[in-house]
Amino acid sequence: MHTLPTLSLYIHIPWCVRKCPYCDFNSHATQAGDDIPEATYIAALLQDLATELKAVAGRRLHSIFIGGGTPSLMSAEGIGDILTFVKTHIDCESDTEVTLEANPGTFEQAKFAGFLEQGVNRLSIGVQSFDDDCLQALGRIHSARQAKLAIGKAQALGFERINLDLMHGLPGQTLASGLADLQQALDFGTDHLSWYQLTIEPNTEFHSRPPNLPDEEVLVDIQDQGQGLIEAAGLSQYEISAYSKPANQARHNLNYWRFGDYIGVGAGAHGKVSYWQSGSMVIERRVKLRQPKAYMSAINALSSSHIVTPEELQLEFFMNALRLQAGVSTDDYLANTGQTLSNVKGALVSARKAGLMMPDRLQASPLGWRFLNDLLTYFE
Amino acid sequence: MSINPLIRNFSIIAHIDHGKSTIADRFIQMCGGLSDREMEQQVLDSMDIERERGITIKAQSVTLDFHSNDGKTYQLNFIDTPGHVDFSYEVSRSLEACEGALLVVDAAQGVEAQSVANCYTALELGLEVVPVLNKMDLPQADPDKVKQEIEEVIGIDSSDAVAASAKSGMGMNDVLEQLVELIPAPEGDEDAPLQALIIDSWFDNYLGIVSLVRIKNGVLRKKDRIVVKSTGLQYGVDGVGIFTPKRNQTDILRAGEVGYVVAGIKDIHGAPVGDTLTHVKTADVESLPGFKKVQPQVYAGLFPTSSDDYEDFREALAKLSLNDASLFYEPESSDALGFGFRCGFLGMLHMEIIQERLEREYNLDLLTTAPTVIYELELNNGNVVYVDNPSKLPDMGGVAEMREPIVEANILVPQEHLGNVITLCVQKRGVQKNMQFTATQVALTYDMPMSEVVLDFFDRLKSVSRGYASLEYNFVRFEEAKLVRLDILINAERVDALAVIMHRDNAQGRGRLLCEKMKELIPRQMFDVAIQAAIGGNIVSRTTVKALRKNVTAKCYGGDISRKKKLLAKQKEGKKRMKQVGSVEIPQDAFLAVLKIDS
Repeated sequence: MHTLPTLSLYIHIPWCVRKCPYCDFNSHATQAGDDIPEATYIAALLQDLATELKAVAGRRLHSIFIGGGTPSLMSAEGIGDILTFVKTHIDCESDTEVTLEANPGTFEQAKFAGFLEQGVNRLSIGVQSFDDDCLQALGRIHSARQAKLAIGKAQALGFERINLDLMHGLPGQTLASGLADLQQALDFGTDHLSWYQLTIEPNTEFHSRPPNLPDEEVLVDIQDQGQGLIEAAGLSQYEISAYSKPANQARHNLNYWRFGDYIGVGAGAHGKVSYWQSGSMVIERRVKLRQPKAYMSAINALSSSHIVTPEELQLEFFMNALRLQAGVSTDDYLANTGQTLSNVKGALVSARKAGLMMPDRLQASPLGWRFLNDLLTYFE
Repeated sequence: MSINPLIRNFSIIAHIDHGKSTIADRFIQMCGGLSDREMEQQVLDSMDIERERGITIKAQSVTLDFHSNDGKTYQLNFIDTPGHVDFSYEVSRSLEACEGALLVVDAAQGVEAQSVANCYTALELGLEVVPVLNKMDLPQADPDKVKQEIEEVIGIDSSDAVAASAKSGMGMNDVLEQLVELIPAPEGDEDAPLQALIIDSWFDNYLGIVSLVRIKNGVLRKKDRIVVKSTGLQYGVDGVGIFTPKRNQTDILRAGEVGYVVAGIKDIHGAPVGDTLTHVKTADVESLPGFKKVQPQVYAGLFPTSSDDYEDFREALAKLSLNDASLFYEPESSDALGFGFRCGFLGMLHMEIIQERLEREYNLDLLTTAPTVIYELELNNGNVVYVDNPSKLPDMGGVAEMREPIVEANILVPQEHLGNVITLCVQKRGVQKNMQFTATQVALTYDMPMSEVVLDFFDRLKSVSRGYASLEYNFVRFEEAKLVRLDILINAERVDALAVIMHRDNAQGRGRLLCEKMKELIPRQMFDVAIQAAIGGNIVSRTTVKALRKNVTAKCYGGDISRKKKLLAKQKEGKKRMKQVGSVEIPQDAFLAVLKIDS
């Protein structure tokens, strides 16, 4: 019997109150004072979902992630409708992880209880910083105070799993202020932390008008010393920018890194779904229409579909798998690509010879992890 | 003895931008060689690169009918000549086929050194030189001064020089009238045994080798059996004709005429430039005096960036050399760059053009090492060897004397820039031989090391004289010099492709500059990169490219991998332009760093 990778579901909510200057994701600012067209969007989402779920009939869902944009702009009832639809159309694991990305604004906090009630069991709060100057520089619309209140509220409501999204290397940040920012997040005793350096992406406001960022030496010092603080708080790094308490790793993200399958629904959502055909595993990448308006009015939400070629496959696999501190086993490669390692043998030998990979697993060495972009060139 | 008395064979001697191509276009237009529709600017410069750079590289010809005021119709055969200093040997080939030459001088700028040199070549060959003052429509035109200069510098009578402007058409008919009057008809005999001089040969994808010939004696017809004198090989003539400038099959070429021959020759070496063609039945006829073989002046290693392209590269060079007998190449292998070819060029422009053609026409990605001249070494055992590659320099313990090539450089420069030019010449180790003041310009003669002249001297000369100075040079001798090899070491490993030979006095300073330049060019990588300059065993300079602390993309959302893939693709594109030396990645630019530092 041919096995298939673990299956997850990603749901994209494409609106934000305001577009942040560093953000290159598919998000669209809502018009001031306007409500988002929630009902229309949900109708489109359910239609999209119905099509996608039909194609994976018989499979089981491992995790759900509602991201954006700002999903917390949706009403709790709306989120509930989506989740109910999913659970009635596909078999879910008993403890399916359901994450929702939330902004720590006052407006969103009021909905936290409702989200929990509707089946969201993990909250990812986009704190970014506890420093009002940095928040302003990042174009965030919440304050440090609101962020702290939001975390407190989520904890008090009984969310057992909370991720804090935090950036470092922010405009004007020093080693001391960067570490202080981090320590505040850790002081909440959070079980999961996404802590990553601000990078300037093309097609963002920061790219056309670059902010004044800290020197490379400061950046590296924040990273190195911050890592120490995180470990002292009982979290360990399991991915390039993800840290967690034992057993609290983000299952949804882990599935990405392990090259699992995921359905993507919503405007501009990306999905990857595998199936077997004439004895070989076919991996299909599907992208949905990017503009919310087009997505909502389309009969078919699909924008593009691409069958991953064997040449693309190895790079795509290692691009994900090597981000994991523990990497993956060689069996995982076979299971999630449907291919043997013979095609990548040469690359593995050279990468190991260069000291960039560990000998037995498909795992980066500490050096290779630090220079992951260099390591990946072996698989291009 | 019979020959058509109405034939006039001529070339145009002109500086690059003194308007030769525009004049040629005018002539073609006036004599109806092409319809207006076919008239494309600068029709004779047919190679893309020639047209883009506004220069002529290869000799071409065109046959035109000129209806003179005397009521006769003359057959004008215009043989185009290259104007750049790198291609002077092509000029003498073209002149050899003519009885006269138009000396075109920019009436605003005055005489230029390369034209002087070409003029002397023409006079030595016994050609009638007819001066023409071009660009007379410009307000800065100063015909009297320029006439005086022509007489002083070149020594020919210019009192009757036609005032013309190819751009406006002014005086163009007078130029042609004067041309048919002053330039003599060719000598020769249609009834004598065939002697045809090969002026140029090139490879045509459909016809094989096409040769441009000047018939000295006899008549050449289609279907004739001919023999190439130097090889003794026989061929049947498939076609003969003229260029108008379109190829026009006439089936016959007579003594005095210039045209093309196609004879099923497959290989350029089957019709060597300067060789003589004759009929099989008169195979014993004397060979015409040919041309002197050209020697490359600049050598550089060319390596494909991807070793998979080596075979394609070899084929491309073979094909290119079909059309360019001056291109020299032989296999070279480098520790740093793998397998490639050491190529010899006539000068830097020639090198650039060859590289550009290889990349453009043959779709190759090439890496060029620093160009060098050829050095003469006398060994302790008395043997003399020549070195065209710094990394092949033998152990200096066995070398009795090292000699560098010296050129005689002739420079013409307006007086106001004289000081700058002299300073530059001294800086380039020049020794002044002569200085002559003329009406508007100064003629300077220097002996200079060729290594200093061939690299960037021409560009520097132009920049210190606001573009007015002109240059012409010739190899004269090898001369003893205190030369050393400057090595560059990357992480303590000598990189053969980065070695340069230079004068001892400059080596230390140059070493320091080179290290600094390399530091700028080599990107930071996973570990420290030490860059050292060394002369023999002595390190004369050192610098370090500090290691990157990390190279990893921080946030990466699992769902959309396209962004991340784009980033990696960009990185890969960057790496493609790098060469791995040991464990260090060196960008291609670095191999030419020696050219990029101001000495």
